[in-house]
Amino acid sequence: MKHLKPINSKARKIAPPDDVVALSQGPAPQSGPHIPLGCTFIFSPGWETDSSGGTAGLCTPVERDLFDCHNGCFWPAQVPDQLNHAPDWTGKCASAQKDWRKIDLIFP
Amino acid sequence: MRVARSKTPWIFAAVISLPLLGFSQQQTTPPANPAATADQSKEAKPKPPEEDGIPVTSDVVRQACGSCHKSDEKKRMTRISARRTTPEGWQETIRRMVSLNGVQLDPETARQVLRYLANNHGLAPEEALPAAFEVEKQSIDYHYSDKDTENTCHSCHSMGRVISQRRTKSDWELLVAMHRGYYPLSDFQAFRRFGPPQTTPGPDGRPPDNRHPMDKAIANLSGAFPLITPEWSAWSANMRPARITGTWAIAGTQPGKGAIFGTMTIRAKDGADDEFITSTKLTSARSGETASREGKVIVYTGFQWRGRSTRAASNQASPDQEGLREVMFIDRNMQSIKGRWYTGAYDEMGLEVEMTRIGAGPVVLGMDHPTLATGGSGTYTIFGANLPANVAAGDIDFGAGVKVARLVSATPSEIKVELNIAGDAKIGYRDLFVSGVVKERGAVVFDKVDEIRVKPQAGMARLGGANFPKQFQQFEVIAYNYGPDGKPDTKDDLELGPMTKVTWSVEEYAATYGDDDIKYVGTIDQNGLFTPNVDGPNPQRPRNANNVGDVWVVAVLTRTGKDKDGKDLPPLRARAHLLVTVPLYMRWDTPEVEGGK
Ligand code: HEC
Ligand code: HEC
Repeated sequence: MKHLKPINSKARKIAPPDDVVALSQGPAPQSGPHIPLGCTFIFSPGWETDSSGGTAGLCTPVERDLFDCHNGCFWPAQVPDQLNHAPDWTGKCASAQKDWRKIDLIFP
Repeated sequence: MRVARSKTPWIFAAVISLPLLGFSQQQTTPPANPAATADQSKEAKPKPPEEDGIPVTSDVVRQACGSCHKSDEKKRMTRISARRTTPEGWQETIRRMVSLNGVQLDPETARQVLRYLANNHGLAPEEALPAAFEVEKQSIDYHYSDKDTENTCHSCHSMGRVISQRRTKSDWELLVAMHRGYYPLSDFQAFRRFGPPQTTPGPDGRPPDNRHPMDKAIANLSGAFPLITPEWSAWSANMRPARITGTWAIAGTQPGKGAIFGTMTIRAKDGADDEFITSTKLTSARSGETASREGKVIVYTGFQWRGRSTRAASNQASPDQEGLREVMFIDRNMQSIKGRWYTGAYDEMGLEVEMTRIGAGPVVLGMDHPTLATGGSGTYTIFGANLPANVAAGDIDFGAGVKVARLVSATPSEIKVELNIAGDAKIGYRDLFVSGVVKERGAVVFDKVDEIRVKPQAGMARLGGANFPKQFQQFEVIAYNYGPDGKPDTKDDLELGPMTKVTWSVEEYAATYGDDDIKYVGTIDQNGLFTPNVDGPNPQRPRNANNVGDVWVVAVLTRTGKDKDGKDLPPLRARAHLLVTVPLYMRWDTPEVEGGK
């Protein structure tokens, strides 16, 4: 376990190893990805289109999906993820579908 | 629009090295040891890279990065010595060191680190050019040679990010481990195979390949993009500061605007051999509109041009106040420079540019309307540089059937002529000579437009304007003549270039029953520019849908003239698919490479 060591000194002070291990486990392998309600699970080609190349299968509206994407890091290159680049991204809104004007564009 | 640079969530710095290792206890494929990455423990001796590595000789880099990235006796640093990439690739990593790994860098040090690594751990021209679309922000349809690797690596970002890297095998492994560490879901999304292993042999009788997708990808990438290559060995030995000061002729094309011509003067920045100051004059050939621009450039690795220019002061109200960003490649012979200048919230508005060095002699660049209709006549402008002051009508030659009736005016950059094109002039491309200097295929003689096509064939726009910016899509119509044989899709077909007098509209692309996207997605103007509707849920749509949709963009060209039987030529129609989709909530941008931000 000697490698389970925060790599910067600040982190060493604030992160007891247990927290870190919990985070490091990730979701249980067999359960599959978390698919937000109302979304079709299509990963390829991606965020912009459904499997047919259109928009009918996209999450409707996308704002409903944002919290899930953010928390679960499902679209790490399209939606700021809570784990790494933008822990407080949705801090200003209770529901992205209502408060979507309050979220920021993130430059990681 | 709301914009935020991410605050440094240093608390999460603790997490990164851990999942990488935590996984090794449960996984069939132990991720490579990221301690080699940044292990500060005393007992772990810095592991000498088991493969070749590039020594880091810059004290600035050694100091800024050395606390985590240890060196061996040959000055090879963990991770850093095991990788080469573009300036953008380096900047992205440096940024992550700051945002996620808690590194503190002042802007000046960051610039020096970037420049050292981009130059000394960079790419050779042969390596950089196939990935040019990534840094030029071209939205092209790229396909990587290995389907499995492509499927594993292109779901979140472009393959361009991947093919612009060169790494040792263990560094490719660590890259994948980095993804799994920061983004644990990536295992399900792309990297691991779930379900029981296959047992039935493939059609070739060989046992099935049960490796995880990520392992297949690592095997492929470390073979295709190794750290040490003959191309880089040759280029790094021959590399030198680019000698590009002087005057250059510019020929460009901008979708929606057509040909752009001009000149650029490049001066060295005081005290630097890789930084330049530019002054540019541009003329839009079709409209005659002109612009002056001032810019700054950094040249990396002796050939990678990264610049930014803004309109000269008088034009503050211009739409590109942020400036045009320039990504170009200097040819090995330092006589030509090619690339893309772009702007727009999604880098979607741009022009393709080619520059050639101007010597003492004249250069012919092109024309405002290079399409010469048989039986027609009119005034045409020829653009160039150093054009002779005393040019006469007889010095200008388009070949048989095209008569230069009169010289209207002549300056060193523009010659106006009146042309009469004979009714029986042979159709085909024509070389244009001005005082003995040629522009090959400078014009084309044609009798009629036989076909039109919309470009691009598949467009994309993003909703915006309420909270996030819009991504526009410019379409244009390219016209064709079937050539002397009159048959479509044969070798003698003539491309006539962009057509302006077309009518644009949007039609439904019926993807679902009762599809009505067309009411919501946005509008197209008569210059082919599509402007998407606003972002956000639309209460007027079922399920509060966004204004997304997919539609046809339709162009119609009305033709004058008669066919062989004396009937009016019918109008021509062409269409393209347009996807209007959701914003990106995150932008991986690296303006630092131009010296900005
Ligand atoms: C505080 C410790 C720390 C410092 C200082 C640091 N790094 Fe890192 N670096 C890491 C860690 C941890 C990783 C592995 C996780 C990752 O890739 O983010 C890493 C990974 C890398 C990688 C591999 C990334 C990839 O694409 O696979 C490179 C290259 C790198 N660092 C370059 C640098 C440079 C250049 C500097 C100096 C500006 C620097 N690092 C300073 C901690 C550090
Ligand atoms: C689950 C989505 C996802 C998949 C799948 C994915 N990537 Fe990434 N990749 C990312 C994200 C997000 C980043 C940005 C990491 C950061 O800086 O936080 C990234 C960054 C990178 C970088 C830049 C690294 C650096 O140091 O800045 C490279 C190179 C890369 N990926 C290559 C690959 C390869 C090779 C594959 C396939 C084996 C792959 N990616 C698959 C999401 C993904």
